[in-house]
Amino acid sequence: MKRTLLKLLLVTWLLPLAAMAGDPAFNGRWRLDVARSTALDGWSTLDLVIQTDGSKVSLLHDLTWHATKATATNVIDTAAPAEVGNFFRLDQRHMAVYARPKEAAHVVATWIDGGRTLRVEAQVPVETSQGNTTMRLYDEYRLLEGGGELVLIELHSTRSRPLVYRFTKVPAEAAKK
Amino acid sequence: MKRFILILALILPVAVSSRAAEPTVMPPAHEAYVMHFDGDWRVAGGLPEKALLISLQGLANRAAPQFYVIHPKDFQWEITLPLYEYYEHKYGVHFTELKTANAALTQFKSAVKGYVVWDKTVTTSLNVAFTIAGLEDAVVVTADLIPLVEQYGLKPIDDLRGRYTGQTDAQIYQDAVNRYWARCNKDAVMMMGGPRGPVMVPGMADWGVREKMFFHDLAANPEIPAELALEKRLLSELNPGATIFGWHPYGKDTEEMHTTLISSHGLKMEGLHNLPNLSFNCQFTFTPGFKFTNHAHVALDAKLEAQDKIYLSFVQSDSIGIGVWTKPGRGQLPFAWQVTMNWTKFSPAALEYFHESATPNDYFIGGLSGPGYMYPNHIPADKFPLLMKQANELMSMLDEHVLEIMDNSAADGNLGNADLTKETVDRYYKAFPSVIGFINGYGPARTRDLRGTQPLISYDYYIDPRRPREEVAADLEELIALNTKRPYFLLVHVRESNDVNSLITIVKQLTGPTEVVPLDVFLKLAASKQTYTTRYQDPADPKHFKGF
Repeated sequence: MKRTLLKLLLVTWLLPLAAMAGDPAFNGRWRLDVARSTALDGWSTLDLVIQTDGSKVSLLHDLTWHATKATATNVIDTAAPAEVGNFFRLDQRHMAVYARPKEAAHVVATWIDGGRTLRVEAQVPVETSQGNTTMRLYDEYRLLEGGGELVLIELHSTRSRPLVYRFTKVPAEAAKK
Repeated sequence: MKRFILILALILPVAVSSRAAEPTVMPPAHEAYVMHFDGDWRVAGGLPEKALLISLQGLANRAAPQFYVIHPKDFQWEITLPLYEYYEHKYGVHFTELKTANAALTQFKSAVKGYVVWDKTVTTSLNVAFTIAGLEDAVVVTADLIPLVEQYGLKPIDDLRGRYTGQTDAQIYQDAVNRYWARCNKDAVMMMGGPRGPVMVPGMADWGVREKMFFHDLAANPEIPAELALEKRLLSELNPGATIFGWHPYGKDTEEMHTTLISSHGLKMEGLHNLPNLSFNCQFTFTPGFKFTNHAHVALDAKLEAQDKIYLSFVQSDSIGIGVWTKPGRGQLPFAWQVTMNWTKFSPAALEYFHESATPNDYFIGGLSGPGYMYPNHIPADKFPLLMKQANELMSMLDEHVLEIMDNSAADGNLGNADLTKETVDRYYKAFPSVIGFINGYGPARTRDLRGTQPLISYDYYIDPRRPREEVAADLEELIALNTKRPYFLLVHVRESNDVNSLITIVKQLTGPTEVVPLDVFLKLAASKQTYTTRYQDPADPKHFKGF
């Protein structure tokens, strides 16, 4: 009886923790399927490297534009809202909307759908031709059936069309190269 | 981009000292010859014969405009056929078609003293051969074309086969400098770059041969120091006000590196490497009585009041000739077209053609940055006033009242930092007291100012021709949503190969109180209410190319 009670308590205690954790299948390198995604503007390719560590989630972006290579990482925390400096936004680079790197973005991240969706909301400071303003981003990183595909749906407070980016998992061995 | 006897008096004071750069009296109706080229520029295919014909064209056109080339529709310079037709009906030129290299050699052999053999296995030798061709009145051939030219009694002048085997480009051009540079034109250099390797498109070589220029494709890249050092030497030994024709070598450096280097010597660019027929075009002046009259939509001294709405204006740069002039829809939207002002000297008929075929919605503006393509942040302060005096005079001749500025020295192609320093902006305001205003950028930029009635507005958006139209509309709507003050002045750069019809579709998708206005109206409105920030290049802004 004691053992059963202990097990029940353990399960009751672990369940919320499980709900707060992302599916381990999120971890790894994901390659943007350019043909099946909203057209990038100012970037040619994108790899997204996701690494979870407790409540922290690292979202590393490996980008290319012709011969130019760029890397940008956002580390977000699903445990509590955070101010994230130099927050990277997958921008449409032919628009005069510029990051304000010295100012932090207010970011709220949550695992939902049993850990199969990472929801990120960010208030991102940007500069436009009329001065400084804030763009609200709403991102959902959804792990698809089988764990081999990831879809990122991004909404902007300032854009009526959603941006949909589809990724496929890069096999671990290939990702090392 | 990239303009008769009466006008000649206006042109001469601004012409560089190059003999052939000065327009001559338009010849009376006369006979000329035309060839149609195909699109095969492979070294192992059509290039050798084309190189022979282009060198022949340069020599045939030394004394008079005799030899014109029409390129296929998909050639980057779409103007060759329309301009050919314009020469026929407006200038009374009667063309006879030359169908083969034999026919061309038969017609023009008297202009040629011999031939130079270049080495297909060392393609850099083609540029050395072009230099020799100009100096020695020779045509350039590969080994397999020797029997062809010898049929016409041509003798060998030089043979580059084997001379440069195993050498670097720096070594090859150093040898060429040692042998030929002293005899070459010091008012102009031919930077025969563009694609390298199995395909080369030296479409502008006729001009370099005619003008006895030194041909090279040296890299302006700090990572190739020997080539950079040699090019710096050549630039430093040119006459003040000289022009660098052609284009940078793909794969060895970037447009940004090369234009920065040239601008830092106070020199100007005139491209591209494939711009055809300058040896022919330069010999025509404007037809009698022709006068440039721009389609202004507002008086120069008018004052307008902006309403609480979104004003859009579209600009096509990249030179009219490689733009969307010949594409469907032109005239249906107000459009500003950047004119390479130097064409007053090199291609007057082309400018006359553009002006005569302009609709009321086509408005011409000066550029880029001055009397040629230059990056103004790098023009030496002591050279800036004279260059801009030339630009002012050319703009006045062309009835142009807006100057387009572009400095991509810190940019990454059409992205990144395309801003002007405050010192550069100060210089422009001082040098152009009478223009309606300035526009800046290529990709988006954030240099903005308003002094008196003269705004300086940068592009807020660049339309990539490959971007889906619905996304372009969404991008524009997003800019409108982010820039909440009204009026909002949204300046849009339309890249070559975008067609106007697609822009009409985009504009129809925009919501809110939007209005597409001509650029002169746009700038007048922008002068009435500054809802944009004043900003210059910030030293902390990222720079893609750090400089030399």
